[in-house]
Amino acid sequence: MNVIEKLEVLADAAKYDVACTSSGVQRSGKKGQLGAAHQAGCCHSFTPDGRCVTLLKVLMTNACVYDCAYCVNRASNAAVPRTAFTPRELADLTIGFYRRNYIEGLFLSSGVAGCPDRTTELMVQALRILREEYGFRGYIHTKTIPGTSLELIDELGRLSDRLSVNLELPSKQSLGLLAPNKSRHSILTPMRHIFESVAEDKESRALAQRRTTVYREKRMARKTRAFAPAGQSTQMIIGATPESDYQILNLSAALYTQLSLKRVFFSAYLPVVADPLLPATDAVQLNREHRLYQADWLLRYYGFNVSEIIDEKNPFLAPDVDPKANWALNHLDFFPVEVNTAPLEALLRVPGIGVRGARLILRARRQSTLGEAELRRLGIAYKRARYFITMNGAYGGSGIDFSRDALHARLSAPIEGGRHGRRADRAVQGQMSLFEAVDAPPVLPEASPANRAALDVAFEAQRRALAQPAAIGAPARAGESERPPILGADTSPAECGGASQEGAPHGDAVCEPLLSVA
Amino acid sequence: MHRADPDTPFSEPEIYDEVAYAYDGTLEGLLSAIFAAYERHENPTDVVPESHLQPRLGQRVAAIPTNMNHAARVLRGVKRACGWRAAHAVKQASCSDEPDAGTAAYRFVRYAMDEQKLRACDRCRKRASCKGRGGTGPCPKMRGRALSDITHPAVERLFRISRSISQECEHMRQFVRFQHLRGESEGGGTSTEVWFARVSPKASVVPLVMDHFVERLGVQPFIIYDEVHELAGVYDGGDWHLVATAGQGDLAGALPDPTADEALLSEAWRAFYRSVSVGARYHPELRRQFMPKRFWKSLTELQESPASLRRPTS
Repeated sequence: MNVIEKLEVLADAAKYDVACTSSGVQRSGKKGQLGAAHQAGCCHSFTPDGRCVTLLKVLMTNACVYDCAYCVNRASNAAVPRTAFTPRELADLTIGFYRRNYIEGLFLSSGVAGCPDRTTELMVQALRILREEYGFRGYIHTKTIPGTSLELIDELGRLSDRLSVNLELPSKQSLGLLAPNKSRHSILTPMRHIFESVAEDKESRALAQRRTTVYREKRMARKTRAFAPAGQSTQMIIGATPESDYQILNLSAALYTQLSLKRVFFSAYLPVVADPLLPATDAVQLNREHRLYQADWLLRYYGFNVSEIIDEKNPFLAPDVDPKANWALNHLDFFPVEVNTAPLEALLRVPGIGVRGARLILRARRQSTLGEAELRRLGIAYKRARYFITMNGAYGGSGIDFSRDALHARLSAPIEGGRHGRRADRAVQGQMSLFEAVDAPPVLPEASPANRAALDVAFEAQRRALAQPAAIGAPARAGESERPPILGADTSPAECGGASQEGAPHGDAVCEPLLSVA
Repeated sequence: MHRADPDTPFSEPEIYDEVAYAYDGTLEGLLSAIFAAYERHENPTDVVPESHLQPRLGQRVAAIPTNMNHAARVLRGVKRACGWRAAHAVKQASCSDEPDAGTAAYRFVRYAMDEQKLRACDRCRKRASCKGRGGTGPCPKMRGRALSDITHPAVERLFRISRSISQECEHMRQFVRFQHLRGESEGGGTSTEVWFARVSPKASVVPLVMDHFVERLGVQPFIIYDEVHELAGVYDGGDWHLVATAGQGDLAGALPDPTADEALLSEAWRAFYRSVSVGARYHPELRRQFMPKRFWKSLTELQESPASLRRPTS
């Protein structure tokens, strides 16, 4: 296999990793060295599915001894040709692409060839060539393999800008069932270790800068690399297992608050290899993924608490309105908000006003009073915002009943988009057409009865597999219970004592999150 | 223009002199034109580059010669009174292809300088220690303010132009693709190499993005050639400068051959691009939104592979 063929195979194998960001670290260029990194990142291309290409996203090797049911590289999948880059090939390719401004840096992941440590050593070699031999200052994101020793993770952290460990699935049971070689322990231990190392590194750097005597601190001629300065991220698969949005969002909130993650990525489940435990459907749950990302943004940028977005009684996000609009509809007593006086936090709660719009409003209203024309000029989505604001006392949405139902109808009207691709045959929900029979309301493919049935079949199979004590998942879980608990706050005695292995029915209570809000 | 009553900012219509200032299209030219407006005590209706000039009915045209000293004075004054952001916005406006960009910059400077004069120092707590006491100098409290009054007609246009230029700069940073060219061999037998990129942006943004590329690709001499504005940004390994190529004819024939590994690496990039897409999520309108079609002709990954490298697909 030549390098191009290898690249084709290994990029194809890596494409299901959704994380593709080059943000989070600002590093200026240096004379005589290649590369720099920019805080906001930069997308260099976009694939036909609309996802950005910012890093050279490849696997070190796609040979893998693990047998995760959802993964295209699983050991039992004989259809995939197996290959591996040598560290030198990979480093040369990265440099060649970077010099042509194709990429922002490298995203390196790998299948498990032999054992995790051996594979990670190969990755470290490639990164060493890049960083030390070629003096590369661009962005490097490395995926750590569950089960890698912590010393090697330390080494990776010094060479990379961002590290990530994939959670893969939102609950312990699903993980044990679908990824028998990974466990909660082997995933959370490196995450916690990365979190601690980043925090420690930041703190020691801050302390070193403090000057207490008149003497100037002697600086080292060669600066040491910071440990993963862009933090860590993770990703999980949505829709392959029965966990609700409530569980998923609570898990990601716990990750943000307890382990200071920069991003939690969601990946709508896509059937790549047939497995009786997985839903056999082509209708990818893109809408659900989209709503989860919207909720994720509310958590990270809008100051929402996870309990405001979703509660246990309605464990799934509304498919027809976005989570922020949903919150607004449920809290009409909060509105209308006066745009000329309201604080930033209140403006951020208004549907149609985003972070950027809210900041522009704050900036513009210092000099002038904002009315409809001014808001439109600022680029606010006035069409949506007008029902929830007053402008110098004048209510924007007059003529419409200020009730939940009336506003819901307004906000759930779809945004007029193109007529090509995914949106091509999407019609307005509930709108009558002159040319079609009225009795067949159009639905998104992911909400179709066929898709629902496929999901039910798979979830039933998963439930049965979990109910059998000798099922695939049992050895992994039994092995885990011998290890000490890693997170004191949320390990209940039931979990360590092995209550979950006694074949409890796979009901709602059994979907035990990997991490919960303290 | 002083407004009679600052409390009713939009009530009084502005009165402009029936004159258009024509400048040479450069930043210095634009700043000289702004200087001239103050010098001649005029308020021109239009400030436009000569190339875009379309005189209105009965309008007098004044050609403004570029004066480096005047330009430096205006830029320093804008920076001092309105902050560096405002000065940067004016710089960006001079790169724009919009016919009214010069006028927008002029109107903004006029408005921002007037705002400085209108300030009230008498109730300011810092008036004792302030450098701009008594309206003689710039007021630090007013400095960033003019540009943030985005809804004012004099600011809004410049703000929009500035934003669209920033966007075009970002597009350049994203979609410039370099080719590795062999270059001519010099006397000593060593061959020089050059990395060449051809772009066709909507505004003349090459001067604004050169710093970015010099920072990250400082180890390689490169040229970014803007076909539309016939302007090349040339980095020789030490410093960068701009070369205007107007009237030199088509440069395509003058380019040296690509190096041996150029075809290989561009093909590798195409192969990567092909295989990284997920078919089940196909969503071309999203791609078009992020990567407008006007850039596609210069993107390596969207070109056909050369026949010699094409492999049969099963």
